[in-house]
Amino acid sequence: MMFTIGDKFERRFVVSDEVYNGFIHIFADTNPLHTDEAFAQKKGFKGRVMHGNILNGFLSYFIGECLPDKNVIIHAQQIQFKNPVYLNDELLFQAQIINVSESVGAIEFKFTFKNADAKVVAKGEIQIGLLA
Amino acid sequence: MEKNEALEKVNAVFIDVLDNEDIVLSYETTANDVEDWDSLNHIQLVVAVEKAFKIRFTSQEIQSWNNVGEMLDCILAKGV
Repeated sequence: MMFTIGDKFERRFVVSDEVYNGFIHIFADTNPLHTDEAFAQKKGFKGRVMHGNILNGFLSYFIGECLPDKNVIIHAQQIQFKNPVYLNDELLFQAQIINVSESVGAIEFKFTFKNADAKVVAKGEIQIGLLA
Repeated sequence: MEKNEALEKVNAVFIDVLDNEDIVLSYETTANDVEDWDSLNHIQLVVAVEKAFKIRFTSQEIQSWNNVGEMLDCILAKGV
């Protein structure tokens, strides 16, 4: 088992034009909050709010590509969006292992995404399984 | 802890994990008797039982259970 309670992981992600446009291209969520600067400002935001589920894409990358073991599958996850993310925001992703059930090969992480102002924009938990 | 007390606690875990208020476990209950007790949910159940009793199982222990009663014996053997 390569995972221990307390293990910490860190990664930086940027919500670039490519990520933002790619998300819209694939999932077609063009809600004005995400695509119309004036609309988003009228609703009290600094600008277009990035889709929260872009962060789930980053989570997927973290689990699939950044762990010391590639034999992993996501079992469950929950995420809360606490503050808006804007285009070109650089996010600091930090995760820590909070539970390891060796008997069934299940590992749980808690994680946060913070923006450049060190404000938590999202947080949650994710449980993965180790593939035999 | 008495075995029937452990059964009640495990029953509550099953209700929560499987989102099914109708679950009534007995010592003889097996995975075949409970709707949705499949291999993926089995992992969630084991993780939740470990947390509820603050114990850890080994993979050998899990594989040795034939019914809920044997799971309870295993839990109680850990001195809860």
